[in-house]
Amino acid sequence: MFTRTSKRFLAPLAAAAATAVAAAGCAQSERDAGGDPNESRPLVFAGAGDPRSLDPVLVNDGESFRVTRQVMETLLEHEPGGTEIIGGLAESWESNEEGTEWTFRLREGVTFHDGEVFDAEAVCANFDRWNEFTGGYQSSNQTYYWQAVFGGFAENEDEDLPESLYESCTAEDDTTVTIAVTEPSAAFPGAFSLSSFAIMSPASIEAAAGQEVGGDEGSPVLPDYSQEAGVIAGTGPYTYESWDHDAREVTLTRYEDYWGEPAGVKTLIIKTISEETARRQALEAGDVHGYDLAAPADVEPLKEAGFQVPVRDVFNVLYLAYNPEANEALDEPDVRRAIAHAVDRQRIVDTILPEGGEVATQFVPETVQGWSPDVTAYEYDPDKATGLLEDAGESDLTLNACYPTDVSRPYMPAPKDIFDIVQADLEAAGIAVEPESKPWDEYIPYTDAGECSLYLLGWTGDYNEAYNFLGTWFDGYKTAWGFRDDGVFEAMEAAASEPDPEARTGLYQDANEVIMDYLPGLPISHSAPSIVFSPDVEPPAVSPLTQESFAEASFR
Amino acid sequence: MLRFITRRVLTAVPTLFGLSVLLFFWVRLLPGGPEYALLPEDASAEQRAALRRTMGLDDPILEQYGRFVLQLLQGDMGTSLQTGRPVLTEFLIKFPATAELAAMAMLFAVAIGIPLGYLAARRRGGPLDALAVGGSLLGICTPVFFLAFVLKLVFAEQLGLFPSAFRQSPGLDATRITGFFVVDGIATREWDAAADALMHLVLPGLALSSIPLAVIVRMTRASVIEVLGEDYVRTAEAKGLHRGTIRTRHVLRNAMLPVVTAIGLLSGSLLAGAVLTESVFAFGGIGEFIYAATQTRDYPVLLGFILIIATVYVLINLLVDISYSLLDPRVRVS
Repeated sequence: MFTRTSKRFLAPLAAAAATAVAAAGCAQSERDAGGDPNESRPLVFAGAGDPRSLDPVLVNDGESFRVTRQVMETLLEHEPGGTEIIGGLAESWESNEEGTEWTFRLREGVTFHDGEVFDAEAVCANFDRWNEFTGGYQSSNQTYYWQAVFGGFAENEDEDLPESLYESCTAEDDTTVTIAVTEPSAAFPGAFSLSSFAIMSPASIEAAAGQEVGGDEGSPVLPDYSQEAGVIAGTGPYTYESWDHDAREVTLTRYEDYWGEPAGVKTLIIKTISEETARRQALEAGDVHGYDLAAPADVEPLKEAGFQVPVRDVFNVLYLAYNPEANEALDEPDVRRAIAHAVDRQRIVDTILPEGGEVATQFVPETVQGWSPDVTAYEYDPDKATGLLEDAGESDLTLNACYPTDVSRPYMPAPKDIFDIVQADLEAAGIAVEPESKPWDEYIPYTDAGECSLYLLGWTGDYNEAYNFLGTWFDGYKTAWGFRDDGVFEAMEAAASEPDPEARTGLYQDANEVIMDYLPGLPISHSAPSIVFSPDVEPPAVSPLTQESFAEASFR
Repeated sequence: MLRFITRRVLTAVPTLFGLSVLLFFWVRLLPGGPEYALLPEDASAEQRAALRRTMGLDDPILEQYGRFVLQLLQGDMGTSLQTGRPVLTEFLIKFPATAELAAMAMLFAVAIGIPLGYLAARRRGGPLDALAVGGSLLGICTPVFFLAFVLKLVFAEQLGLFPSAFRQSPGLDATRITGFFVVDGIATREWDAAADALMHLVLPGLALSSIPLAVIVRMTRASVIEVLGEDYVRTAEAKGLHRGTIRTRHVLRNAMLPVVTAIGLLSGSLLAGAVLTESVFAFGGIGEFIYAATQTRDYPVLLGFILIIATVYVLINLLVDISYSLLDPRVRVS
């Protein structure tokens, strides 16, 4: 009897499974149908998180920008595979002497995905829109980069917001546009390359105009136009085809009337795979064709298995911050220097970072304008470190030192491993270390509050201006750094207030020298985060800013 | 029956209310805050402070709780700070993935576990019994994520029989109605989409089924052994009832009581416990989202999702009690 019962259950189950296998096989074979693979197969790239919005002005994270950057373009951009700022939708640009008016000559023959013509009026429509944002759009969570560069809005609704730096946008003619700001800023012209400031078609702006950031004060709801394909039209090599929230994938389709080289692959899909190992396994199983931020330990095995791991140039910095307010011994210059001499930074680069990493001599990588070849060097010399500590009368120094857990950042792929080297080196030089670890979500507030005498942290640049690295750390007193040094602050102020970009480069070189003389922390390394592609893909030029254009990719 | 159900629903109300209080204060006690997770590392202190203010996080905690309850009573669970979409919308997007996965896992567990447990009991002490008992012990002991990795390595990467990730192949042109991909495929007669979704469920479903499968095998076995020794079974045999009738009407039916309870409880825990399997297979369900929410201090998602899961858990338990009373009429009286 049982046998009959089980057969009754199992027979349909087995039939369903067999049908499923057969049908899935058919589905697979349909997908693998012959012809040019660039036309018939989608290129699938795995990201680590879902995009937040399809309108780049509303996002501040790399996962969202990876998607929007393929569709929306900026006035300026970084050269493919490099950090030099070149023309994007603008062919050339210049500023007045005061650095308060930026004039762009726009590319001709560019059309938006909705058929509208790209011109100076379209540029102004975008900048005016951003400056005139009201209500929920004024939250720093929605318009982080606008606020980071331009401060506030035409009419600030929060009295703590600074006045807007943006003054006006004037369409001189169809292909000439001038953007005026109220005072010069060291963020320009680099900030015009920020993905957040990508140009949307005027028709899209009109369609989005009636849509506010909804919800109530504590829980803003992003507007519908930014959550689905169909409204936003850019000028890029791909158009938004669909955003399947259920399947966690954004599908982009080649824009056939693109002004530049058309995209190699017709359909590009960006899928979310949150877990790092799952990304690697999906690549190995052939379910995706590439993914970003591969774990350093995975790079060699992947290469041996035939996968491509092109090396990026570096555009980030990992540092060991000192906080003299957490331990006043760090006020003593010899103690700060002793720590710098004690840490074997080359060992960190050689043993932990992926290929392409470098020891940092200062708080900006060499690819950033303002990097100086003349900063004070602090070579690895544990004996010298011990001697400096003795000179400072700090032979029995104990410092608490912090590192984050549960996180891997492009500049810090394995925090605990890096910290172990730092700790061992400091102890070898005679500094007792009290290690403290915090999960990433608690780490930043903890270090920001000045709780750690030493801590590991870093930054990946958004655009090629030294200001983007140094500006938020050293332009004045910060609880995270806990030092007050007029020499550093004045050097930073001098550079930041210089309107001429070339003269500013020299001033930032000076500032880097002053900073490295004072030594508010120890720059450790610049890291090249790994991106991986399957063997059948011709990868795009890899970008130090992780700004790859997938239009350059194709199937072999 | 109606009174029984009403009483059970009413007792759930204070439970859920108490849970909301505990949850609300627990998530607020987590160190850090969304202003650190949502803004880049170099955001200024002013920007972080402004964000806290606009989110109302600087208001007195009781005022925040009052606002939360008021919204909840109006059916508004707030908005995800991570994605900017309403919590309920996010739940409705993520829930089908987890529910499909849990259902598949439970299907495997029941379809294999009950027959195996029954056979093991019938052939107590034999090789099949040893295999079932040993195998179930292994199933309970093996961490789900480890099993998931092994299944992926063998069946997806080495043999290529099943996909290694996702709920459906990327780029598959499938119509969405309910968000349950298999159901949608069948409803729209897009057979390849349904089959594709089913194939994507096999490995994660198997991985997730390991613990419930082991529990069901052991419970069925123990329960059947117990029932086989009951007087009424002996009486039934003595009066010459057909063997099949004894097995189905007397043995299986009575032995299933504790197993059904276990299935109910396991189903609830599968919904909440699928997080590791979802991560390994990039399934995009509620577990994965809650994990991300704890990382970003996405308070509304943490509160909303856990409350909904708790409600579902209560409902499943209610269904178990109802099915229990159908299997055993004596339960209705109490």
